[in-house]
Amino acid sequence: MTSTRPDALPSRRPGPGLPARPGRRLSPVEMAQASVMGALSAALAIISVVVPFAGGLSLLVTVPMGLLGYRYRLRVLLAATFAASTIAFLIAGISGFMVVLNCAYVGGMTGIIKRRRQGMPAVIAVSIVAGILNGLWVIGALLVLVRLRTLTFDAMTANVDGVVKAMSQFEPFRQSALDVRAMFGTALQYWPVLIMGYSIFTIMLVTLVGWWALSRVLDRLRGIPDVHKLETLDEQGPVAPLPVRLTDARFRYPGAGHDALRPLSMSVDAGEHIAVVGANGSGKTTLMLLLSGRAPTSGIIDRPGAVGLGSLGGTSVVMQHPESQVLGSRVADDVVWGLPPDARPDVGALLGEVGLGGMEERDTGGLSGGELQRLAVAAALARRPALLIADEVTSMVDQRGRDALLGVLSDLTDRHRMALVHITHYNNEAQIADRTINLSGSADNMVMVSPAAAPEATGPVPIPGHAATSRSPVLRLDRVSHEYAAGTPWAKTALRDVSFTVNEGDGVLIHGGNGSGKSTLAWIMAGLTTPTSGTCLVRDKAAQDCVGEVAIAFQAARLQLLRSRVDLEIASAAGFSPFDTARVVAALATVGLDGSLAQRRIDQLSGGQMRRVVIAGLLARWPQALILDEPLAGLDADSQRGLLSLLTDLRRNAGLTVVVISHDFAGLEQLCPRILHLNNGMLS
Amino acid sequence: MTQTRQRRPVVLLRPVPGTSVIHELWAGTKMIVVFAVSLLLAFYPGWIPIALMAILLLATARLAHIPAGALPSIPRWLWILLAIGAITAALGGGDPVLHLWSLNLETGGLLKFLRFTALSVVLLGWGAMVSWTTDVADVAPAVAKLGRPARALRIPVDDWAVALALSLRAFPMMIDEFRLLYAARRLRPRAVLPDGSRRRRWGREVVDMLAAGVTVALRRADEMGDAITARGGTGQISAAPSHPRRADWVALSAVTALCVLAVLVEIRDLGGLGTS
Repeated sequence: MTSTRPDALPSRRPGPGLPARPGRRLSPVEMAQASVMGALSAALAIISVVVPFAGGLSLLVTVPMGLLGYRYRLRVLLAATFAASTIAFLIAGISGFMVVLNCAYVGGMTGIIKRRRQGMPAVIAVSIVAGILNGLWVIGALLVLVRLRTLTFDAMTANVDGVVKAMSQFEPFRQSALDVRAMFGTALQYWPVLIMGYSIFTIMLVTLVGWWALSRVLDRLRGIPDVHKLETLDEQGPVAPLPVRLTDARFRYPGAGHDALRPLSMSVDAGEHIAVVGANGSGKTTLMLLLSGRAPTSGIIDRPGAVGLGSLGGTSVVMQHPESQVLGSRVADDVVWGLPPDARPDVGALLGEVGLGGMEERDTGGLSGGELQRLAVAAALARRPALLIADEVTSMVDQRGRDALLGVLSDLTDRHRMALVHITHYNNEAQIADRTINLSGSADNMVMVSPAAAPEATGPVPIPGHAATSRSPVLRLDRVSHEYAAGTPWAKTALRDVSFTVNEGDGVLIHGGNGSGKSTLAWIMAGLTTPTSGTCLVRDKAAQDCVGEVAIAFQAARLQLLRSRVDLEIASAAGFSPFDTARVVAALATVGLDGSLAQRRIDQLSGGQMRRVVIAGLLARWPQALILDEPLAGLDADSQRGLLSLLTDLRRNAGLTVVVISHDFAGLEQLCPRILHLNNGMLS
Repeated sequence: MTQTRQRRPVVLLRPVPGTSVIHELWAGTKMIVVFAVSLLLAFYPGWIPIALMAILLLATARLAHIPAGALPSIPRWLWILLAIGAITAALGGGDPVLHLWSLNLETGGLLKFLRFTALSVVLLGWGAMVSWTTDVADVAPAVAKLGRPARALRIPVDDWAVALALSLRAFPMMIDEFRLLYAARRLRPRAVLPDGSRRRRWGREVVDMLAAGVTVALRRADEMGDAITARGGTGQISAAPSHPRRADWVALSAVTALCVLAVLVEIRDLGGLGTS
């Protein structure tokens, strides 16, 4: 792996990095960066072409490319340019292709100038040269494409002639119209000069805007934690990861003040099923890193051969985040993704084994979290690993998905010649293992979570102290239906005749699986989506006419935090001045955060704190109701419990109306006494 | 019950459901055809090549069972722009002159405008035809196959194909990200800023949104890098073989024949209908 990545979790190095390995092929990190930034550029370009009046966005396509030019070698930039321009071509044809190509050219240039620590004069000089080169290229193309040039100029001339003719009918404009015609004629005669001037001007403009935006964005990106974990190993010799024996192995991240893993002695033999449990911070993930090849800070790890991460017969790892695990666009492609060219696994059998039989041709974008994780297991099995490490694979998966995934994991070691190390923070998951290794030391200080069983749907439960009759309706949905892409071959009904009422102070859980329409429902209630039929009223006003009155906290909290610092963010979300410190501190206090956090940068917050800051900003506007989309996803057990008790308290004591959208029930009974089940877009 | 009229949206990178002869063609064939048509029309944008390619496009749409609903709604401002263009061009006049009873209509300007518009529409249509009939998962393997000769020039085609495949996988996530960012911005009250002109405020807001988007993208890239490492680096990208079959050769020959015909007509300038 390249040195652009510091060893562990500390923040990204602010300065640019140079590759440690001048190898020809892209490393996994470079490949991922090129692909994601390429996709980001393509998305920006497409939005600027497809969405009317968003044309200005095309100026910003330079930023992701500039970032690549700044941080990685030219090879990475070229791969990203190829990917982004091909996508743009597939969607928007030649115009999208040209937008991306130009922006990659300009953006990459600004990034490289930035890396060389040059300033504005260099930017201007380089942009002039780039403008001239681009101008020469366009002039050359038009010289070759004689007929296209003639047609374009003729069509333009016809338009100008028409306007001139119409203007000449009115005496006062006659002379100026004729002048315009003459000027246009002269301009066409000297078209190469005109094109050259235009090219230099636009390239310079785009470069300057790109330079400005890139500098700002780079400032913001300082201090963003690098969450990548695995390292490509430089190994020789035959692959034989098992049996592995750890003797007093200890690990400390460079620059950290304490050990991430305290001295540990353990062994994993072929065919074993081991559960690893422990509280947050006890080193579960660090142990995964050591088993997958990282050298310990002290102590010994002894294995007969190479670790072989991802190689046939080596070590395979399945991690937490379902969406990121899966790399193929089609299920069958993901199973073989990354295998050597001659490997031909039985894809159908592997999919059958993880319960995805017959889904070879399905698009991975439509799979649920649980299905994605089982697909990741199938891809791991395609490598016939000697050791499979599952690192908290169920933590972002709903109850049904969790059961199915555990079913797959439980008898893997019986069916294959392999060892399974299952890292988890759930009680019942540890029980199916042959033995358990507890990293927390003693069992009683462990934070273990038991998943909840699905309760029955219930009617409204009156809040103690409030008379049920005095509560007025906040949200009223009347036969709401919604169809995406109506009238096209891709039309998809998301909601069908959904009617319900949410009263003041209610706590409602809208429960449904993947694709049940629950997110659409949340967007409709927040007024962000207008339903195709039916009405959603917020205190007698149509929801789409009062966006912002019903607050919504999205699952991806980071995307909702737009400002750089906590106080700026809360002030912006609530609509008051960032200098109003008292209100910022008060808003933080409502969500149980200390006022000292006000000056903190957003990217230094933990996941739980981010959710709380979002909620603080939303509540400071006194919304009619608060909608939370999967509020507990991705949080550890402690943060989950803290957030739940905070929200329950706000609902009970401050009379906040809460609507939670979730695929899980765990711990939500107190917050949401009323449950609505959404199935295939209908309430049941 | 209120029924709001919806505009048909642009659907990105999703083929029209169902299958057809055109759906079954190799993705590489479709890309070659679109490239060839673009090249032909760039060099010979005359009426006959445009008409031939338009007919071929309609025939392909028929074979691929593309319903009219697949076309996105054309916004009103575009119609207005087109109308203004057509009217001013028509006023421009010029040869040829059409004699209708006692009226002499100079149609030259209008014809040129129409030819230019038709050219753009046909090119857009061919581009759309690829996205309507091709599964995105088939694109990268076909690109890898088509780019194989470029290996000789030391162009890292394989890396590029993998990057394209992963980009196509990440693309819908990025679009969702922007949808969310836009929604998050809509939810906020109008900014109260003590200082700064509107332009500065706009700039600040754009940087804010971009920084949030890039931060989340970086995180995704970190996780994707881990997933690639966990699979031992790059290698195969598709389970099914990707190569042209008999139908592809038939389609390619037909398109080649039509292109050659169009070029011959243009060079000979049959009937004086070509470039004028």
